Amino acid sequence: MRRGLPTWLLLLPAVAYLVLVFGVPLGNTFWMSISEPTLGLQNFETILTDPLYARVYLRTVLVAGTVTLLCLALGYPLAHYMARKGGLVAGLLLGACGLCFWISYLVRTYAWTVILGNRGPVTALARWLGMEQPPVLLFTTTASLIAMTHILLPYMVLTLYVVLARIDANLIRAAHIMGASHWQAFTGVVLPLSLPAVVSGCLLVFIFCVGFYVTPTLLGSPKDMMISSLIANEIETLLDFGSASALAMVLLAAVLVLLAAYDRLVGIDRIMR
Amino acid sequence: MRRPEAPGLVNAVLAWCVVGFILAPLVIIVPMSFSASSSFEFPPPRYWLGHYRTYFSAEGWLLPTLNSFLVGIVSSLVTLLVATPAAFAVNRREFAGRRALQVLLLTPMLVPAIIMAISYYSVFGQLGLNQTYAGIVLAHSCVSIPVVLIALSASLRNLDRNLERAAAICGATPAQSFRLVTLPLLRPAFILAGFFAFIHSFDEATIALFISGREVSTLPKRMFASIHLEADPVVAVVSALMIYAAVLAMAVATFLRQRRPA
Repeated sequence: MRRGLPTWLLLLPAVAYLVLVFGVPLGNTFWMSISEPTLGLQNFETILTDPLYARVYLRTVLVAGTVTLLCLALGYPLAHYMARKGGLVAGLLLGACGLCFWISYLVRTYAWTVILGNRGPVTALARWLGMEQPPVLLFTTTASLIAMTHILLPYMVLTLYVVLARIDANLIRAAHIMGASHWQAFTGVVLPLSLPAVVSGCLLVFIFCVGFYVTPTLLGSPKDMMISSLIANEIETLLDFGSASALAMVLLAAVLVLLAAYDRLVGIDRIMR
Repeated sequence: MRRPEAPGLVNAVLAWCVVGFILAPLVIIVPMSFSASSSFEFPPPRYWLGHYRTYFSAEGWLLPTLNSFLVGIVSSLVTLLVATPAAFAVNRREFAGRRALQVLLLTPMLVPAIIMAISYYSVFGQLGLNQTYAGIVLAHSCVSIPVVLIALSASLRNLDRNLERAAAICGATPAQSFRLVTLPLLRPAFILAGFFAFIHSFDEATIALFISGREVSTLPKRMFASIHLEADPVVAVVSALMIYAAVLAMAVATFLRQRRPA
């Protein structure tokens, strides 16, 4: 068949744009991490040896891990229910999850400041139940955990649902005919078949969570900073571009390792499908 | 006895609880926007329309809203222009390094926004692009390239290439067949991809926080400041308006999908 424009010409605008507006700024940040204030690796030395920084990395990983597990624990039952129920109910529930993608995460973060605030419904409920000193939730790590779980949950649900819905119902029927209980059919057939989706959903949520900035800043405790808040803090209050850039490079390296794992296990290009 | 593949009662209860968790925060916003309280109080003591009036009369809110629309529209157009040829190449051509390129084109979506935010902040600072429309449009177009690619790829693969072959057999040049057959067929995909890019820009807060100043402040930046510093109840109005828009958009999308012949 006759072809139109050469392939390289089709790719040129996107690649050039990516190099100039994505590659150059990232390259500049890398350069700053080894040249501010003087050329050398001292920024990396500080941020990789100081126990204060180590605590932030540990906290980031713990928070992201917790959010991932919460998303899995909440998302799996919902995705499983939608997949097995099918029909209008599944359509409606899917719509509810889809709606979240259309609503800014700032809106959802704001909603949680109201719900968890000291004049919100949770505190009111605690008072009504007779608690003298209702628990303080806003501006704690718990608050940012809840909100991040809420924001990332739809990604997990949809990733799981796509795979769960494709499992042939005949396999489950077959398990029953062979005498399996509902639980056995689930653990023996459905769960193993859905494991790739579990891995892919968890990695996706974890990757999004380690770099989360807005929600932890608005809801979390300033004492329990995650790495992204620390990066912002180095720039906004300390004007220390060197440390901030080095921290950004550490975060980038961590995300790239996770992405490589995702690519090996799932294939990043599968996102396009 | 229930069908073996049907979900059990425990599963149903759990699932509906999770949906409640997903929807509750969105439901709470609407009454909050009509609250007469001047702080974040729920349930509201009294109801009125005062905060809506404030939103629609305060330049401090209307200007960021306008900025967000402007930046969103321009950056989604830029992204479409840049990413559309690449979408064709990646989905229709075989070339060495295609998979690597595909992965590369998706990375702007996967790299944490805070890294891009400080990178743009320092580069744009040297170029004088901080606190300008051009700066935000450049940055937002970059991070929505993957969004447009994903949206276009799905439609490009589903497009029946026999239609283009038919055009070629009828004597159309590649350019003619592209203009008269491919583009009209893909028009819905372009609209959808552009819309996703717009939403992506409209919702983007982290990069905007760093590189948009007071003059070109976007709506998410303004909302961030309001929640962070002043607990301004007008945030509830903005949030409620966004929820109305999202529900409306979902309804329109569902309606269009059902109307289209299978």
